[in-house]
Amino acid sequence: MSIIKLLTSSVGRKILMAITGLLLAFFMAFHLFGNLFLFVGEEAFNAYVNKLHQLGFLIRIAEFFLVLFVGSHAYSGILLWIKNRKAKKVVSSYSKENTPSAARSAAFTGSIVFVFLATHWSTFWYKFNFDLQGMSYYYVVTESSVGFGSPAVSIFYIIAIALLGYHLKHGIASAGQTLGIVGTKYESIYDNLAAIFWFWIPLGFISIPVWFGFLVRII
Amino acid sequence: MNVNLKIWRQGSDSDKGTLKAYRLENIDPNISFLEMLDILNIKLVKEKKDPVAFDHDCREGICGSCGFMINGRPHGPQKATTVCQLHMRAFNNEDDILLEPFRAESFPVIKDLSVDRKSFDRIISSGGYVSTNTGEAPEANSISIEKEYADEAFLSSACIGCGACVAACKNSSAMLFTSAKVSHLSLLPQGQKEGKDRVAKMVATMDEEGFGSCTNTGACSAECPKEIGQINIARLNQEYISSSLSGFLKKKDG
Ligand code: HEM
Ligand code: SF4
Ligand code: FES
Repeated sequence: MSIIKLLTSSVGRKILMAITGLLLAFFMAFHLFGNLFLFVGEEAFNAYVNKLHQLGFLIRIAEFFLVLFVGSHAYSGILLWIKNRKAKKVVSSYSKENTPSAARSAAFTGSIVFVFLATHWSTFWYKFNFDLQGMSYYYVVTESSVGFGSPAVSIFYIIAIALLGYHLKHGIASAGQTLGIVGTKYESIYDNLAAIFWFWIPLGFISIPVWFGFLVRII
Repeated sequence: MNVNLKIWRQGSDSDKGTLKAYRLENIDPNISFLEMLDILNIKLVKEKKDPVAFDHDCREGICGSCGFMINGRPHGPQKATTVCQLHMRAFNNEDDILLEPFRAESFPVIKDLSVDRKSFDRIISSGGYVSTNTGEAPEANSISIEKEYADEAFLSSACIGCGACVAACKNSSAMLFTSAKVSHLSLLPQGQKEGKDRVAKMVATMDEEGFGSCTNTGACSAECPKEIGQINIARLNQEYISSSLSGFLKKKDG
């Protein structure tokens, strides 16, 4: 089988989506690890971001791959969604009670996540890299108007991450099936790890705007 | 018992099609669903009206000919049951029953509830076979097969090719059907020799026929009259991955 055929067949596209999706889910774990320095304190968080920036060129390579993964994952997702709509003559004619809503809504939740990522990059990432204006990293996140100083930003962040968790609830299980892990001796390990990625890690992300955006101001 | 039927009537795939209402009274609850339709058709013929077209052959749940949507579910409400094995006692007196054909771009409507499932035949003929020498029957015990594999292959081979999985799927994907055929053969030594080519060819035909792509919703297995499991799809994916990896290692035209 040629590589073109592999990457453009229905099964091949799903394999690509599963691999890129899982790599992005792994990336989220590292990202959360860094973000949790916010709870340690201003100095710790700023020092952490400075360390990252010292890696310079390596960070740019990692960013290139992240954009590539999100792009190819979303591109395949949309293509499959279009193909699948065409294949079904009457779109509503299937048994919804046997099709979990996380699976039904994957293209929708993915699209919201995509919009979120686009704003995330054009605000946080842009500010951190090019537009600090003398603010500390910690201040940008916790107080500025692109960060959780704005209730609108906090609320959108919470909703988008919750939907990402929902996307991954289906996505992780689906990737296990797509990559043929189901039915092997690794299945139970995989299933046990799944909840870390679709529930606990998104919950960790959500704790940040909940605390810095709202609770800290009330208490 | 009495039932109020609403049946999809459509002359051919290019026609628009509409739902028509029919009422049947004093139906014995112990007749089969298809016998109920026979009674309706006898009545329609007597009234010089066009009888309802539906597919059936064995009427014992083994051939895969029958199948349409009953109240939005392929083969009706009863789990692991083809429509020919469904009885009127599964319904209540005065129930409204909606009958529609299996809906999928790759299953054009022939007439009313009868759809053209030749796309399945083309998937099979592209790879769902083993090549063996003809002649005398081979010695039965010359290839020994572990019982677990034989049992698994038997479960996969139970697929009757009815198409309910496609109808149950929001994507009209034929993955459950195709994966049952791939699994059935790849679990057995006789099928393994051609395994790598088989999966590539059958997936290619499945795509060409316009079926959607599997998004692992699981709706197919929930509705399959033969309870073909999701494990078959995982096995197809495993075969597909190993087929493409071996394709990279092999030289072209090698
Ligand atoms: C950080 C972002 C994302 C992560 C971690 C992620 C993860 C995943 C994973 C692991 C899968 C399972 C692949 C499989 O079925 O084998 C998946 C499926 C999918 N993703 Fe994403 N995804 C992300 C963003 C997106 C975006 C931006 C879109 C598109 C707009 C998207 C659309 C889809 C679709 C349509 C599926 C197929 C769902 C299905 O199998 O029913 N995802 N995603
Ligand atoms: S997998 Fe089940 S539903 Fe699909 S064709 Fe085979 S028997 Fe019918
Ligand atoms: S008529 Fe043969 S399976 Fe129903």
